[in-house]
Amino acid sequence: MLLEILGVIALLFGLFFCAVGVLGVIRLPDTLTRLHASGKVATLGVFGLLLGAALLIPSTALRLLALGLFVLLTSPVATHAIAASVYRRREVLDELGQEPAPVEADAEAEEPFQVDVTAALSRSRIQDIIEAQERALRHHRPDIKRPSDSD
Amino acid sequence: MIESAFAQTAVQLILLAMVSLLLPASYRVIAGPRLSDRLAAVDLITTLLIGIIVMLALVEGTEVFVDMATALAAFAFVGTISIARYISEGRVF
Repeated sequence: MLLEILGVIALLFGLFFCAVGVLGVIRLPDTLTRLHASGKVATLGVFGLLLGAALLIPSTALRLLALGLFVLLTSPVATHAIAASVYRRREVLDELGQEPAPVEADAEAEEPFQVDVTAALSRSRIQDIIEAQERALRHHRPDIKRPSDSD
Repeated sequence: MIESAFAQTAVQLILLAMVSLLLPASYRVIAGPRLSDRLAAVDLITTLLIGIIVMLALVEGTEVFVDMATALAAFAFVGTISIARYISEGRVF
């Protein structure tokens, strides 16, 4: 009976955080703040539900622990991937909370943000690296024919 | 299987509340101004579905539902990662 009361309390804990996360996703003004709210659903909300289920039916505790570990590992990675895609498209609000100026009329066809690595490094250094790699490749696999620029 | 009527009723009410959370979460899928808002809301809905499936396993007393929730979590992770890459890079592969 004590185990069941603890399990129902853990389920209510998880339900509370699920409701708060859904409320935040509806009410918050910006994609990154919405992601902040929906990240709580995955960690605290679902993990509370899984803990309550493990307390209510102890025979499934091992499977629920595996599912909980999986959700705890993958869901922050997915949230981080969405946040990184938002940041790379420069859709972040500025310091005053205003929308950024649109770069192009069609934001869906916007070119992705890229760092110009070749400008950051010197040209001769990159040529040295490429020639060293090709020398090493020829030394290990002399039968491979490397494609040239004229191919 | 849960024996006591108190825990049985509580689990059914919590399942009902979790299912009713799906409707306000799908509002953001429809109304989200940007593609990343919609993707975040779909990710939230799959996370809620994992919780709903676990609650359904409690109500029905069937342990197979937990394995279904694990499979859903795995496929949702792959889908979210690939769509986020499509948003930022313009291509998946």
